[in-house]
Amino acid sequence: MDGVTMDREQGRFALPVDSEHKATVFPIFSVAKPHMRAFHLSWLQFFSCFVSSFAAAPLLPIIRDNLNLTATSIGDAGIAAVSGAVFARLAMGAACDLVGPRVASAWITLLTAPAVYCSSIADSAMSFLLVRFFTGFSLATFVSTQFWMTSMFSPPIVGRANGLASGWGDLGGGATQLIMPLVYDLIIRFGVTNFTAWRMAFFIPAILQTMTTYAVMIFGQDTPDGNFRGLQKSGRKHRDKFSKVFFHGIRNHRAWLTALCYGYSFGVVLTMNNVISQFFYDRFDLKLYNAGVIAASFGLTNIFARPGGGVLSDILGRRFGMRGRLWGWWIFQTLGGVLCIFLGRAGSLGASVAMMLLLSIFVQASCGLTFGVVPFVSRRAMGVISGITGGGGNIGAVLIQVIFFKGSKFSTEVGITYMGIMVIVCTLPIALIYFPQWGGMIRGPKPNYTEEDYYLSEWSEEEQQQGFHETSMKFAENSRSERSRKIDSISSPTEIATATHV
Amino acid sequence: MAARGLVILGAVVLCSLVAVFHGAEGIMFSDLQKTLLVSASPRPGQVLEAGADKITVTWSLNQTYQSGSTDSSYKTVELKLCYAPISQKDRPWRKTVNDNLAKDKTCQHGIVSQPYTPSNSTFSWTISRDVPTATYFIRAYAYNSQSKEVAYGQTTDAGKTTDLFEIRGISGRHVSLDVASAVFSAFSVVSLFGFFYLEKRKAKRATQEK
Repeated sequence: MDGVTMDREQGRFALPVDSEHKATVFPIFSVAKPHMRAFHLSWLQFFSCFVSSFAAAPLLPIIRDNLNLTATSIGDAGIAAVSGAVFARLAMGAACDLVGPRVASAWITLLTAPAVYCSSIADSAMSFLLVRFFTGFSLATFVSTQFWMTSMFSPPIVGRANGLASGWGDLGGGATQLIMPLVYDLIIRFGVTNFTAWRMAFFIPAILQTMTTYAVMIFGQDTPDGNFRGLQKSGRKHRDKFSKVFFHGIRNHRAWLTALCYGYSFGVVLTMNNVISQFFYDRFDLKLYNAGVIAASFGLTNIFARPGGGVLSDILGRRFGMRGRLWGWWIFQTLGGVLCIFLGRAGSLGASVAMMLLLSIFVQASCGLTFGVVPFVSRRAMGVISGITGGGGNIGAVLIQVIFFKGSKFSTEVGITYMGIMVIVCTLPIALIYFPQWGGMIRGPKPNYTEEDYYLSEWSEEEQQQGFHETSMKFAENSRSERSRKIDSISSPTEIATATHV
Repeated sequence: MAARGLVILGAVVLCSLVAVFHGAEGIMFSDLQKTLLVSASPRPGQVLEAGADKITVTWSLNQTYQSGSTDSSYKTVELKLCYAPISQKDRPWRKTVNDNLAKDKTCQHGIVSQPYTPSNSTFSWTISRDVPTATYFIRAYAYNSQSKEVAYGQTTDAGKTTDLFEIRGISGRHVSLDVASAVFSAFSVVSLFGFFYLEKRKAKRATQEK
């Protein structure tokens, strides 16, 4: 792209952009159209889905008496809450690739809002499990936030964009531990009995979820150039085929590795959101509200923890390339596992709170570090890869809760210790993630293998002849920032091409 | 310098040890004397409704238990509704902890608290609306002037198998809540299709204007 065209394009956007019109800076407090506006709409919507999905957790001491639940049925409902999203995230990934993040996320959030409203009419263990199951589907909006951020922000800053959107969304899991007891207390003050008060409280997360989705649909835009539907109809965007996108996504072995490893960072986050309030309430005899405050602080560290992971990933990427991003992820996630072990063995309230806070920082930073790597696994099937990884996070949560937190087999503190050991083991596969153009944790890059070689391998000869691969080309060029300093000397094909253009 | 640090560390360790051991001195259930006789109106296996039905509890000192002034330290009597074993199963938040009454969760609902008298006392209680569905018995604790348990009595036997009754808690549901849930749910689904339709029209108009 020559200098004149760049200036003309630049004038259309409030922020400086790259060749794909993705913003190259991230002014966090701005609401500039379309980039920063997309960020704020996206994280608010995801936040509200988190609030809904974990709204039951802090109110369990009341709900368990009202519905005559057992420890087993509570565990089952907690597992149901996170298992619904496994396939929903996968489907969401494909949907984003095909119809864009706005429409895809609106479908899931407006269709799951009824489950949240109907939580107030649950009257048995089975109905409670069902509402938690269907409400949990809304956690698939994670995939749409990552997709949307990757569409709006340039590779060198995609880590922080993804980290902030998902981190501030994850805040919902912590905020709900404060919001729900507060709303409940307020309703109780009006003289409502406890068994009715919790039911009324559920309307708050449901309405929040609906309102944020309306905002996304009215004020948001899928890509810097416009919405999917408009771009597809006018022919400016090639409407890819579901089968091709899906095929390229599931065939990429890196997606399965990131899914496995993400299961033991995000899986820990989801599990803790479910068990931490009851843990403090029962183990240290705290009041409902106080247990909620402590449990909330787990999720509240996400104001900086997960985004910090994303920023760290970007910094490591700048200094050491993709290899730095991978190492950083492995180190932080392993430390997260170690801290789980410490939390499980802490005896006093003070020590437990301290370990929990440290754990929340490391484990949530690991989540941010994961999505500093995921955007680079594929360009054509970016949504599907995000969906597979995101789904893996939920599968991890299901596995962890089934093995360690179901029924009365282990006490909660023993379960947390064993969970830490499993985290350390299941983080080792990060060492197997290898990008031929940039290298992996152990091995360096293949000589003379370029970013174009990697991203264009997703398009066949005929597709390339029809020019469908143009966005992948631009992405390949922009992702050259992921090389570690040592191999900067390799010249890129486009440098030679632009030389002849002039 | 190092010596001073060690002294402070030692003091801290000592204090925490004292605190730990002192705190571990909870009252054990076996310390209590079963000197109170308690009976209640529900028949064995009867089902009562929370918020509606009444329970009449009667209690007094068991004169035949032990001669002598066993009740001189009793200052107050508190009657509580306690979970029967079947309602504690798979519910660790209702666990019976007999070696430390401070951690015992068997009796979570208070009925009444009155100053102690050795003669017959009665109380009629309307079951409050926040009592959950479960199987119960009733226990009375006698407290001394330091508010520590010293004696007890209960309506059931030592194994908690006889004279148990059920209470059916309120559902907490209301017709207005049911209606609101249905209306709001329908609205969110309808609005989804509304947005979808608007998107289609906007895209069609954009391509027509071209």
